[in-house]
Amino acid sequence: MYNLPSPQIEGEILAYIPFGDIVYYFSPYTLVLFIFALTFTALAILSRPEKQVDIAFGGDAYYTKEIPEKQMRFQRFMAISCGLATMAGVTTGDIFNFTLLTAMVGICNIGIVASVKNKHVLDNAYEYGILAMIGTLPLFGAAAIILATTGTLSLWEIFTPAVSVPVIAKALLVIGVIGEGMAPVYVAKAEITRAPGAPYVLMIHVSSLLMFLRVVEIIISM
Amino acid sequence: MMMLFDMIVYDLSAEYEAALIITLLCIIISFWAVMREREDLHRLILTELVEIMCLVIIALVATDLAEALILPGLVVGIAEFLALSELYIEKEGLRKAPENVLHIEVMDSAPGIIAVIFVIYGIILSGFTGGAVAGLGLLFYFMCRGSSEKREIIETVSGYAWACWVVAFIVFMAVPQYWFFGVIIAGAGIFAKVVAKMSLIGTMNGDGGEGDV
Repeated sequence: MYNLPSPQIEGEILAYIPFGDIVYYFSPYTLVLFIFALTFTALAILSRPEKQVDIAFGGDAYYTKEIPEKQMRFQRFMAISCGLATMAGVTTGDIFNFTLLTAMVGICNIGIVASVKNKHVLDNAYEYGILAMIGTLPLFGAAAIILATTGTLSLWEIFTPAVSVPVIAKALLVIGVIGEGMAPVYVAKAEITRAPGAPYVLMIHVSSLLMFLRVVEIIISM
Repeated sequence: MMMLFDMIVYDLSAEYEAALIITLLCIIISFWAVMREREDLHRLILTELVEIMCLVIIALVATDLAEALILPGLVVGIAEFLALSELYIEKEGLRKAPENVLHIEVMDSAPGIIAVIFVIYGIILSGFTGGAVAGLGLLFYFMCRGSSEKREIIETVSGYAWACWVVAFIVFMAVPQYWFFGVIIAGAGIFAKVVAKMSLIGTMNGDGGEGDV
């Protein structure tokens, strides 16, 4: 019943899960992305936070920083939510659903970054938050223009050759996903890869990367 | 401009194209504003302007589906706005420990009298409205006087209200000819229930503890 119109891009369809008119699907491409997201979510659930080592100058002493239980729990929760949003985002079959899940990934990333109580890190999280908020405009704008021009939001319809999507909508979609997935830049700027709570920061990179890969697939197919 | 737009966006009505162009102009203005602003808090507020523009683009589609899409768009915008404002408060260290700021002399002397007047008037009104009035009196009383050991009374009253409802229900089901008796009992029950609920709000001024009513 459901067949991908252009199997040369991402392979033949393996499975689909219909939720009303939103039909999630697994092709070899999205399955790989899904497994990737699943693995890192499992890592976020299982792993303990890394403790940063500080060396006291003038002696041999060194000590590890304590990570507050509350901060650890919050970061883990945000990382798991981010993983779930990513898993749904890479398999969804509806363009508006995809934009919503991308926005959710953005919010979760803000949460992961912002849980570190440090002025410098919080400043960067704030900058990223502003960017992510502005990024929702091209994101939803693209979905709305696609709806206006093609009359549908379902990727199954949009992928068919009969339906052509305006270039401006594609461009806006890419810009929006870039805006939401800009978190790793701010992570690098604030150097929180080495800050307390390191394993959860990985989820920011993974989710952004997977969303980029998925939007490439969507753009090429439509 | 129009010609250029025709090449990019096609198969559309003239109204949609015109509206889209106007919206794009507004978007450019709002982006320009965000870009120029340096104050952090003002930037946060200006991003809300951008969010509104985003809703405008969705609304331009002008079908039932667009109506259904505006709501999630709005929710996402508000969620990010809330997260960012929390972040701003945390970043600037603006959070203060809650304290009882409002403390004036009248709050020591008046509550008893005012609460009694409200409760009596509430009993005269009876039913839901009366419950609200009497509850307001008790709310004021608890807010002014504190609420260390009075919570058990509220819970008891609330329990009696449930019992009243159950009795009224049984009366309605078993002996329908006494419906007026049932109505009176149910009215008293809802009176007590609303009073209990509202006075519970008065006990929420930060001294911890939660009653399950």
